[in-house]
Amino acid sequence: MQPSIQTGIGFRREIADDFFGQTVLQPDFIEMAPENWVGLGGYWGDVFRRVTECYPVILHGLSLSIGSPEEPDWTFLKEVKKMIRKYNVKIYSEHLSFAKLDNAHLYDLLPIPFRKDAIKHIVKRIRQVQDFLEMQLTLENVSYYTPVAAEMRETDFIREIVAESGCGMLLDVNNVYVNAHNHGYNAKEFIDQMPLDKVNYFHMAGHLQVAPDLIIDTHGEPIIDPVYDLFDYTTAKMGKNVPVLLERDFNFPEMEELALEMKKLREITAKNSKHHVIHA
Amino acid sequence: MLYTPETYQIEKDLVQWCKTGESVTIPGTRQKGLDQYRRLLRNNIHNAMEQAFPIAFTVLTESQWDTLIDDFHANHPAATPQVWKLPEEFYTFVEAHRYAEKFSLPFLNDLLHFKWIEIAVHTMEDQQPEPYRNEGDPLADTIVVHPEHSIIRLKYPVHLYAAEEALAHEGDYFLLPFRTRDFDVRFVDLPALHAFYFEQIKQGKTGVKLLKELEQSSGKILNTKALKQNLLGFIQTMFSQGIFCGYQAGI
Ligand SMILES: [Fe+2]
Repeated sequence: MQPSIQTGIGFRREIADDFFGQTVLQPDFIEMAPENWVGLGGYWGDVFRRVTECYPVILHGLSLSIGSPEEPDWTFLKEVKKMIRKYNVKIYSEHLSFAKLDNAHLYDLLPIPFRKDAIKHIVKRIRQVQDFLEMQLTLENVSYYTPVAAEMRETDFIREIVAESGCGMLLDVNNVYVNAHNHGYNAKEFIDQMPLDKVNYFHMAGHLQVAPDLIIDTHGEPIIDPVYDLFDYTTAKMGKNVPVLLERDFNFPEMEELALEMKKLREITAKNSKHHVIHA
Repeated sequence: MLYTPETYQIEKDLVQWCKTGESVTIPGTRQKGLDQYRRLLRNNIHNAMEQAFPIAFTVLTESQWDTLIDDFHANHPAATPQVWKLPEEFYTFVEAHRYAEKFSLPFLNDLLHFKWIEIAVHTMEDQQPEPYRNEGDPLADTIVVHPEHSIIRLKYPVHLYAAEEALAHEGDYFLLPFRTRDFDVRFVDLPALHAFYFEQIKQGKTGVKLLKELEQSSGKILNTKALKQNLLGFIQTMFSQGIFCGYQAGI
């Protein structure tokens, strides 16, 4: 990753009109979901063309569904691969979850049972996908609202998958915070057990507390201070700089507000990167 | 697949719960969390369909709309990984399961079809017309049609009247949505004869040939002079809208 690709923002249709021609928000990269843009012509195809001319792109998929029993959708992955090549994409990230079952899409991320057989299955899938794309896949720890027939701890589940498959990790710091709250564990201890040397991308986002014991990972609110603190804690522990994304999916505020959040992320990264070895 | 049958069944049960709300027993789950998933998944469908079909959302009663969303969510295995294409699956689901009859809303299929086709033309991949030249004879030369269009047939003119009102105007309506060079979608209303002209010209038939065939097949009933004027008028309209681009090059 070029040193310049550091702090980015998710590019969505909802912000497109305000995005062009403004100077308030100066992301180093944009993140896009291939599902939202593949095969689009006309107005949105033009928006896609214009924005990819201006910014480096990180892809963040929604439908890979690495935890599905069935084969990946090779036809769609072919489109993703084309996009990766055409736009010189350095990171293709996805979720450690499932979003379809028996080829029926659900358009949301469901938790995979933390079980031994699931690890074996997912490791095999990751390898298949990496071979097909001829690049590393990066997988994100997801937020979840109920454990599902777990036979092991989430940390062990993630570590084993990352170690055995050779995939990269997208560490969503807000998801760690949300899960720690919802499932009653310590967020910093969770971070301590993550394979930080394999992390090549961060997500930071806001969430919504709907009950004393339930936080929903909405991406529709500003990032809260405890999540910034957790990001600070994590980046201080890391031995390298990796890009960080401000995830905002709806309930968009003024650009100035998003710019302030990005500024804060940059400050934290800069503070903690002083001691890092720079990997060019 | 390296899942054990048990793990596979757990995923199936979780999905079944999310889709139908029929209670399932999955070890270690929290009901509050399961409720969230059911709500989130249904919301995704609801929001995407409300955005795609705002008129249908307003015209249907709350309980009719909820029935459509719940049935679709529970029973339809969504095929597209791209949620913005899901409205097409929703429209075909509603049509195939005859909700228009169930709800006594005969215009429902047309309403959904009309909105979907607008989305489809707005988002369709960019396509270049065949090479063409600007000068030519509108009747004697082969016309190049811009491919960024569609053509649909409606029974109720939901594009002209409010849905309920359209009921009184049952008939045969041909609608040609096309994408303008600045990415808008416009609709041209075509009389049946013009829809026929359009399909023939699109297949590469010249006006002269078309007129000759019409003459031959209709005996002496048709007024050929009037027909020619009518065809010329149609061709001019199509040119002025940009749907016809020019004349086939290299001939
Ligand atoms: Fe994330």
